[in-house]
Amino acid sequence: MSNSGRQLEIGPTDNTSDQRTPRNRLRLIPEIARESFAPYVPQRGLSRQNEWDMTRIAADLPRAQGIAIEVSGKLQNERGTPISNAMLEIWSANHFGRYRHIEDHSNIPLDEHFLGTGRVFTDSEGNYTFWTISPGAYLARPDIGRWRPKHIHISVSGGGSRLITQLYFPDEPNNASDPMAILMGDDFERNIGKPYETPKIDVDSGLNFDIVVGGRNAVYFE
Amino acid sequence: MKPSTQSDLLKPTNEDTVGPYFPINFSDPLLEDLSRFESGITAQPQGIPIILKGRLLDRFGELANGTLVEFWQANAKGVYRSPKHEGDSDIDPWFWGYGRLRAESGEFEFKTIMPGLCADRAPNITITLFSDGISRIVTQIFFADQESNASDPLLQSLSGEDQAKLSARHEGQSDCGSKIYTIDIVMAGENEIPFFDDLIREGE
Ligand SMILES: [Fe+2]
Repeated sequence: MSNSGRQLEIGPTDNTSDQRTPRNRLRLIPEIARESFAPYVPQRGLSRQNEWDMTRIAADLPRAQGIAIEVSGKLQNERGTPISNAMLEIWSANHFGRYRHIEDHSNIPLDEHFLGTGRVFTDSEGNYTFWTISPGAYLARPDIGRWRPKHIHISVSGGGSRLITQLYFPDEPNNASDPMAILMGDDFERNIGKPYETPKIDVDSGLNFDIVVGGRNAVYFE
Repeated sequence: MKPSTQSDLLKPTNEDTVGPYFPINFSDPLLEDLSRFESGITAQPQGIPIILKGRLLDRFGELANGTLVEFWQANAKGVYRSPKHEGDSDIDPWFWGYGRLRAESGEFEFKTIMPGLCADRAPNITITLFSDGISRIVTQIFFADQESNASDPLLQSLSGEDQAKLSARHEGQSDCGSKIYTIDIVMAGENEIPFFDDLIREGE
């Protein structure tokens, strides 16, 4: 029995987490107000034809540097119901570990052929696929030598589903020291992609990442 | 639908921080201003246009730059555009109620309409924050000049001090006649506002 909500934790060695993490326990929502806390995201159709292939900026342009990979998986809710027509917004650093984001001021080189953002939709069975370049790790805290491990940001939205997460890579040396991975503990494993071979397509390898959207929106689970 | 027990459920993917670099090119102007419909269409959402001006602050009183802010609210008649209300004659075809913007500096201006009274609830806007260093956190903002606040079950579950922290104040009018409301959303520390747990139910 709980009469108060979760206590959020601060990511170790993460200054921003220290600055922005609420210190008080989360408050419980009176039952009558729960529905109001479950947003229902309208369908949006903002994706250019080539956005599923982030290995190049546009279909008529050359490939970016680094290892081309396919990322694919199934999007479902906790009951295993596939979530169709949801939008995945994807962003990641380039092969060297630099974002083409106006606020990334690092000295790591840009890649003239890598944009690092793309949007795809799940199909009627909840499946999604995109290609990208395996991102570089980058030094997040030079003062203590802590790296951000290779990761791809994925934001899922559509209907009652809303989730922002990160896909990590297996056997990466920096996984263990990542602040958010530390907070996830044993559950971190679920955010690591599972490699598969891709003999028939023009990428080096594949990474399977099945995404399960958690239960806060139980109001709309059919 | 087969009844499911807790153990049947799949384990959810962990939420993770949005980080500092949510792509600005994913912005959608239509989600930053719900007080109008798509341009070129003769249509107007019902209700009183308002502008919610907010500041997102960290525990040192610094602006929490690069935060992704999402909004969810009922229409002017108090109806949410969700499957539960499909077919409701009070749905406003020109208003969905979901908004999103990236607060580059940590300040934002969200244009919308005043949400209506919904059953026992005072007008409110649910706010979801995705920010560097944290995973998703949620709260609900009210309007200080609404009488119905006195009987809102969520607001009344909080101390007077906390109620005030969630109440946007009416401060003037825009050139276009929208009522301006302001709110400081302090994410951590001394003046931290209440955030809510939408995963755990009472008594669970
Ligand atoms: Fe990142």
